[in-house]
Amino acid sequence: MRGEAAADAGAGYPRSPEPHDLSDDSDYAAAAAASASIHAAIRSDMADIGSEETARVDVVYEKERVTIHPTQYGSSRISGKLRLYLQLGALFLSWEPNEGVDSFSTSSVTAEIEKYRNLYTIQALPVSDIRFIRRYNPTFGLEYIIIVLSSGLAFPPFYFYNGGTRELFATMKQHVFIIRSDDDPTLFLVNDFEDPLQKSLSSLELPGVATVANAMSRQNSFSFAGSVNEARHGDDAKHGGPSSIYEYGSKQKHKLNDPGRDLSLQVLEKFSLVTKFARDTTSSLFRENHSSGSHAYGRQKQEHVWDNRISDKYKDQQITQDDTSVLSDSTESDELLLVWGKKRGSPLTVDEWRAFLDPEGRIMDSKALRKKVFYGGVDHVLRKEVWKFLLGYHEYDSTQAEREYLAAMKREEYEAIKSQWKSISATQAKRFTKFRERKGLIDKDVVRTDRAVPFYEGDDNRNVVVLRDILLTYSFYNFDLGYCQGMSDFLAPILHVMEDESESFWCFASLMERLGGNFNRDQNGMHAQLLALSKLVELLDPPLHNYFRQNDCLNYFFCFRWVLIQFKREFSFDQIMLLWEVLWTQYLSEHFHLYLCVAILKRYRQRIIGEGMDFDTLLKFINELSGQINIDQAIQDAEALCTIAGDNGAACIPPGTPPSLPVETDGGLYLQEDDVL
Amino acid sequence: MSYAYLFKYIIIGDTGVGKSCLLLQFTDKRFQPVHDLTIGVEFGARMITIDNKPIKLQIWDTAGQESFRSITRSYYRGAAGALLVYDITRRETFNHLASWLEDARQHANANMTVMLIGNKCDLSHRRAVSYEEGEQFAKENGLVFMEASAKTAQNVEEAFIKTAGTIYKKIQDGVFDVSNESYGIKVGYAVPNASGGGAGSSSQGGGCCS
Ligand SMILES: Nc1nc2c(ncn2[C@@H]2O[C@H](COP(=O)(O)OP(=O)(O)OP(=O)(O)O)[C@@H](O)[C@H]2O)c(=O)[nH]1
Ligand SMILES: [Mg+2]
Repeated sequence: MRGEAAADAGAGYPRSPEPHDLSDDSDYAAAAAASASIHAAIRSDMADIGSEETARVDVVYEKERVTIHPTQYGSSRISGKLRLYLQLGALFLSWEPNEGVDSFSTSSVTAEIEKYRNLYTIQALPVSDIRFIRRYNPTFGLEYIIIVLSSGLAFPPFYFYNGGTRELFATMKQHVFIIRSDDDPTLFLVNDFEDPLQKSLSSLELPGVATVANAMSRQNSFSFAGSVNEARHGDDAKHGGPSSIYEYGSKQKHKLNDPGRDLSLQVLEKFSLVTKFARDTTSSLFRENHSSGSHAYGRQKQEHVWDNRISDKYKDQQITQDDTSVLSDSTESDELLLVWGKKRGSPLTVDEWRAFLDPEGRIMDSKALRKKVFYGGVDHVLRKEVWKFLLGYHEYDSTQAEREYLAAMKREEYEAIKSQWKSISATQAKRFTKFRERKGLIDKDVVRTDRAVPFYEGDDNRNVVVLRDILLTYSFYNFDLGYCQGMSDFLAPILHVMEDESESFWCFASLMERLGGNFNRDQNGMHAQLLALSKLVELLDPPLHNYFRQNDCLNYFFCFRWVLIQFKREFSFDQIMLLWEVLWTQYLSEHFHLYLCVAILKRYRQRIIGEGMDFDTLLKFINELSGQINIDQAIQDAEALCTIAGDNGAACIPPGTPPSLPVETDGGLYLQEDDVL
Repeated sequence: MSYAYLFKYIIIGDTGVGKSCLLLQFTDKRFQPVHDLTIGVEFGARMITIDNKPIKLQIWDTAGQESFRSITRSYYRGAAGALLVYDITRRETFNHLASWLEDARQHANANMTVMLIGNKCDLSHRRAVSYEEGEQFAKENGLVFMEASAKTAQNVEEAFIKTAGTIYKKIQDGVFDVSNESYGIKVGYAVPNASGGGAGSSSQGGGCCS
């Protein structure tokens, strides 16, 4: 019985947050004092955001040294000031980075960080747009919070170097309705009830609270951006053609002088740092054909014709390889992008591969190799060898002898880790619930992974057992991350290629160094990628972005499967091996898969907008694209987009976003909770 | 194909309880034990007939794993019916029902019809949850209950159709405003003008029968 109870609580099924009276919280008292004292009028630059008259702003909470860790760049961090303020009766949250970067940064990375500074700025986030906040007060290390918006997206963690999360919550509690989850003490549901009557009503019917919260904050006027770096834009951005496009997005919940009102515009300005050329093309490209989104019957037909025309044209264009000449013809909008990517090449052959190696087996020019693979993939017989480099298991400058030695060592190490769970006896397992659960889950999943592929086909397939052993061993090797569905999708092609248990394990482990965040319990890595995706679409296809915004699709959950397992379910087994090796080259971008998402969305944008798809329809539509996507075309489109976006594209992607190497915190790489399986 | 109504269903419950198998059995009349595990959501559809009217069921088969819940919750919106599934051979899948129900209540519309299904009843020799317990839970929570097997097809058809019947009855009783799609019901195009005349063209002018 004990085991059962543990399993129940352990699996962490959060019941709806029960009311948890905060008044017995010591936070509450702490802040009562703190908040009353700060009522200072705020600098006028904060007040004039999007409003004519300067509405009175009351700062009710202010904390310095609230910091973001873009730890991709060593120990550098962006310190800033977090504020809560009241304006016209509504509560807003802001975070402004300080000028300059904190200590420890070398000057070379400073510029990099500067680029990201504005990305994180929050100018005026209506607290009503917050769904919940997680608060962590680790015994060792800094306290931090993670803010999750009702759109489902999350901000990166804010670390409080001077403390103050308790006061923050206590202050919030004085203005908005907050309940703390009983099951998960780090979780605070936030709700902004401006109407006191409603407030008292809803505190009576608590189970409905979350739903109300949803309904109340439908408009996703959040922003990661804010203070526009005027110096850098110059005039280009200011008379950016785009502004007219955004007008139809002005269906706003907030009043006219609401500081949150024009955020999206600011974001756009900010991201319109695109070169004038690219911006002009992109905006003229995507403006055409955009109507109010009403679903006239004729539209579909017309669009169908259009599609055909594109593909015909495309066939011709493929032969022309001259990118720039095609680009200058700006009348045929979307086609530019379609033909712009370089023609796909042929796979790396054995002879070509040999030519890359020096006599001792070092890879002389890894960049050229990656380029070759990016454009054409790898002949299947070579995958076993080449993937080990692409995945980072082998160093490019290692010799053949070193690699053989490494393989032998790693084989022993693998066996040692494997024996950790192999040696668990039945009696021991009986008292080891977490192990039993994990093993049970993996057992159930390996028999449901790629069984139609001959390598895994049939009853009692030995390879299925190996799949199980590797995953279980990995969950011991990386106990904090453990096992999560989707991992077997990644492992199956790797084992199929490697045909060796230990080598597959280490390749998989290398891949998880980068993609572990996809499987982290708090879904942080996924949120970061979906957020980056929304920023990229905003940059590369503003009308589509606007369409998603108006139709409540900004959380990009419809791309969840694409991102989680990098298109594994969208292509055939053979195609996915090709696509993955292209992605793993990181030739144009570490985040090429996000450009691929944008590319595919853009290819179907006319149907999406023309048919007026809502979230449900869109999700179904995207799901059913599985098996329909032309892989070469998608890669070419993505290449073009990635090139067009350039640095501005890269600036849409917060550092540490998978598959970038993760941010290492004091508490380990992965969120540790009791209920990790 | 034309339909009088379209109902959105969701299938929810722990991973491995057989949600995808139930869907496949219902839509394709076959049992495929090696079906891929579900990431995110998958879709199925089938036409049925109730009261001589063609009704299309659009079924959302969601992923059961806990860590996907923050995503799968967003699929509940606007579902008219839900099949809440547990595995009669695994006690913990039954223990988690309350939290699934809670989720459904929070994220789906209040009038959603929920059918509780104890799946894998072909494995009754390995049963870990009795029929009575399932029945009791359903009763306490106002759900319709059935044990079923995706493998033998026992009660699969019945479960989906009975749920549709309940929803249809609610329409007849005027519980829904069918012109409001947030209830998970769409009015179709080609209906012989039946009682109430609710089914119009895409304008969906007709309200519901009284
Ligand atoms: N004996 C028996 N086995 C079943 C039945 N239904 C499903 N199974 C088995 O249970 C396993 C899991 O079934 P799925 O339908 O994939 O489970 P699911 O609920 O969709 O799981 P997720 O997609 O992970 O949420 C399959 O491998 C089937 O072999 C049944 O009625 N009887
Ligand atoms: Mg499934």
